Amino acid sequence: MSENGKTKSFMEKLPWLIYKYFLTLISMLRTNIRDYGMYIALSVIFIAFGSMTGWVFLGPVNFTNLLNQTAYVSVLAVGMTLVIVTRQIDLSVGYIGAFLGAYVVVAVENQGQSVVVALLGALVITVIVGIIKGLFIAKIKVPAFVVTLAGMFIFKGFLMLKTNNRYIPTSHPFFQKIGIGYLTTYEVGGVDLITLIIGGVLLLVVVISGIRGRKKNVKLGIPNEKIELFITKLVFMSAVLTYLSWTLASFRGISYLLLITVVVVAVYHFMTTQTTLGRRIYAVGGNPDAAELSGISVEKILVIVMISMGILALISGVMYASRLQNTSPNHGPFWELYAIAAAFIGGCSAAGGIGKVVNAVIGSIVIMSLKNGMALSGVNANIESIILGSVLLLAVVFDIYTRNVRPVDLVGMHYAKKEYGDQLKEAKIKLKEAKLEFMQAKKEQKEDVLEYEYKVTNAQGAYNKLNEKIRIAKEEDFIKA
Amino acid sequence: MDNDNILVMKSITKLFPGVRALDEVNIHVKRGEIHFIVGENGAGKSTLMKVLSGIYPNGSFDGDILFDGRIKHFHGIKDSVSDGIVIINQELALFPDLTVYENVFVGHEVVKLGKIVDWSKTKELSKKYLDMVGLDVDIYRLAGSLGVGKQQLIEIAKALSQNVKLLILDEPTAALNENDSANLLQLLVELKKEGITSIMISHKLKEVEAIADSLTVLRDGKTIIRMDRKDINEQEIIKNMVGREIEDIFPKRPVYKGGEVVLETVHLNSFDTDLNRYIVSDANIKLHKGEVVGISGLMGAGRTELAHSIFGNPKNYKISGKIIAFNKAVNLTSPKAAIDQGIAYVSEDRKKDGLILLETISQNICIANLKKISKFGILNFFKQNTYAEKYVRDIDIRTPSILQQVKNLSGGNQQKVQVSKWLFSEPKILILDEPTRGIDVGAKYEIYTIINNLVAKGMSILIISSELPEILGMCDRIYVIAEGIQTAEFDIKDATAEKIMESATI
Repeated sequence: MSENGKTKSFMEKLPWLIYKYFLTLISMLRTNIRDYGMYIALSVIFIAFGSMTGWVFLGPVNFTNLLNQTAYVSVLAVGMTLVIVTRQIDLSVGYIGAFLGAYVVVAVENQGQSVVVALLGALVITVIVGIIKGLFIAKIKVPAFVVTLAGMFIFKGFLMLKTNNRYIPTSHPFFQKIGIGYLTTYEVGGVDLITLIIGGVLLLVVVISGIRGRKKNVKLGIPNEKIELFITKLVFMSAVLTYLSWTLASFRGISYLLLITVVVVAVYHFMTTQTTLGRRIYAVGGNPDAAELSGISVEKILVIVMISMGILALISGVMYASRLQNTSPNHGPFWELYAIAAAFIGGCSAAGGIGKVVNAVIGSIVIMSLKNGMALSGVNANIESIILGSVLLLAVVFDIYTRNVRPVDLVGMHYAKKEYGDQLKEAKIKLKEAKLEFMQAKKEQKEDVLEYEYKVTNAQGAYNKLNEKIRIAKEEDFIKA
Repeated sequence: MDNDNILVMKSITKLFPGVRALDEVNIHVKRGEIHFIVGENGAGKSTLMKVLSGIYPNGSFDGDILFDGRIKHFHGIKDSVSDGIVIINQELALFPDLTVYENVFVGHEVVKLGKIVDWSKTKELSKKYLDMVGLDVDIYRLAGSLGVGKQQLIEIAKALSQNVKLLILDEPTAALNENDSANLLQLLVELKKEGITSIMISHKLKEVEAIADSLTVLRDGKTIIRMDRKDINEQEIIKNMVGREIEDIFPKRPVYKGGEVVLETVHLNSFDTDLNRYIVSDANIKLHKGEVVGISGLMGAGRTELAHSIFGNPKNYKISGKIIAFNKAVNLTSPKAAIDQGIAYVSEDRKKDGLILLETISQNICIANLKKISKFGILNFFKQNTYAEKYVRDIDIRTPSILQQVKNLSGGNQQKVQVSKWLFSEPKILILDEPTRGIDVGAKYEIYTIINNLVAKGMSILIISSELPEILGMCDRIYVIAEGIQTAEFDIKDATAEKIMESATI
């Protein structure tokens, strides 16, 4: 073929290629809707609040603020994900977190302890509490709901005792740094270079690890996701990362709160996806009986999960007290419920075994965006909870409805429709005829009315079969043929 | 339609993924008779009764049900009950924390003024029905405080209160002692006089001989024969239950030559504190290197419990006696301890106790031996997938990819994943609990071939099975268990289905 002919045919093909690209993309999105639903929801929320507030919502100041506000919920939600994955619940972490925050603040401010000693003390307390909770749940088999509900009351009491029912401010440099401090910046024209560099490095890491992952999959013989989807995802992620680093850089850079959150999420993401401990936790959640019979100690895993939850409650409590620069008996309520909501919005299954820590963080951002966005756009603050509750319910309904989503391949269906279109039309006509005949027979009260009913059933079956053929058609089948 | 038959089920076919549970089954039951349905485990008896009672709704199977001369479409158990068909399952459906009289009328309460429960009438009527079944208890007692035999009578009283025409009992005497069983059989005969037809599923052929008016034998989901009162005899029934050519189903293996003892239990007793009885008493079994030993017995005889007692006691029975593995007395307090000794247990209920259905094939295969695919607790996915690929190839698990969720596989392939998982833990002793339950003949053959290959390599295998042909076709030696007691031991040369059946049904 001549050079000219080739380009021409390419140009002719172009509309189809673009059409095919979108068909593939939509097929992949529809097939994996469970994985992407949350990101779509978050985008919708961002755009909605952005437009309602004249894009102040997404501006540098508010966006930095939003991420800082989310930090303590994100950290709790990470731990809560593992709790829910192992089929448990933890209602006590709100007050435990608040109590531990108070413990550290009081130790530093009133008792003159060093920060390290205070934090270590709190760590010992929370580990012991975690072990106790875990043993009650795993060994004595008291339902987690009851154990942690009791814990909630108990630690509300401890919080009031610790703070002496009073508001205690702190101006210790440690809390200032953690709560309202930012990483060193190197500003050029009002934009922090360090943040931009970190953003750039992350961008490179994402692109390179994505490409390397695909190569590795090829080596392992694991099918890769479609290239169309991969590229779209990369472009999308790069855009998000660029926007994020630019936005943060144009305000004050990266806050310690954000840094801690990212470190916690990274550690837990690694732990859940790359280690044997992670595998065991998900195995216990997926099927505790099978896990036990596979030599995994369910009891041990549950205790570990409870300890991990406690440690994250400590981090969360310190973050919260630091951000507000005080501790108070009013801290704590609803923290655990935000964390649970975040985990469920992030796709955790209450039946256990399913849930990703990264998605729980997205869930936290959804929740805090709603709070932040509504305040910013001047919506009556009282309806905030109503919206949040509805979003939670919708998220879980969505999760249930998409549980048995079947793969779709719109490209394959496109080919199949071409191939079977005529047959389908024919079958439809036949079905119509059979139905009419049946109605007629029924009216005339014929003896063999059952025969007509069978005919309808058969015609319907033939029609359904063709439809099914088209529905399950895959692109590969046609390309091979 | 002939009015003789109260029930006709015509060419009933019911498919489960990968299995033909019922294949063109036909039965008919005459008005006012006691009809037995007999067959081995997995023959399709309970499935057939679930079809009849609407638990499998109309449309989920093929074929017709004629009850009282009319075609019926049951969409749920409610429909069949309202037509007078009541099924009493093996696991009783009583509410242990409600009183006896509440239990009789729960779900179809006696009401006045529309929706208000008429308690005094409830008590009066329940007394009447309890009298009919000859149960003399304080109606204020909690149902859970009564013995199984009495609970069963409450269920029958409940059925009577629903104007039952056809009473179905699924292995009613399996959990009863001799006295209660005899009472129950007597009651059925009496109810027959009141015009109530019964269908009874039972393993116990003595019962069949005692009260059956007719029976149908099912095997592999097919109707084999219908016998009337005059033709019924035990030998004939067993022949029809078992009868098939064993050679075509089981791959050949060289005759066992003997070897050292690898596993031995000495006076092993297990006491279940929940049931408050011994579920294994005085088990003395031996397993040699390269040997296949079968544990035969009816359902509920304590076979799985024996396996659990050996495999680290996950259900926390109270255990006494000794377990000797590789000439060493071992204390197996958890499945992990058993795995560390080189024992593996492929569980009977692969969905409940064996597999993590939502996870992938490769994750499931590696879960019992994560050490082999990790370093310092960090997983090596390359290794995981390489091993998984190896097993998928070697064991021939049919799947598009090792990343397929296990729940999407057929029963046979799920079972192969379970076997692979345990082979990956590198055991020397493999306990297979009902290795071929619910999988088709082809997949069974493959599992048997795997078993033969493993023993050829020196592994020792314990097979627990309620399918006699499987035991006879695969094992070198057989222990028979009944009610937790080891009742017989056969060398394969001397074993016959009849002998085993006899030892299993004491």
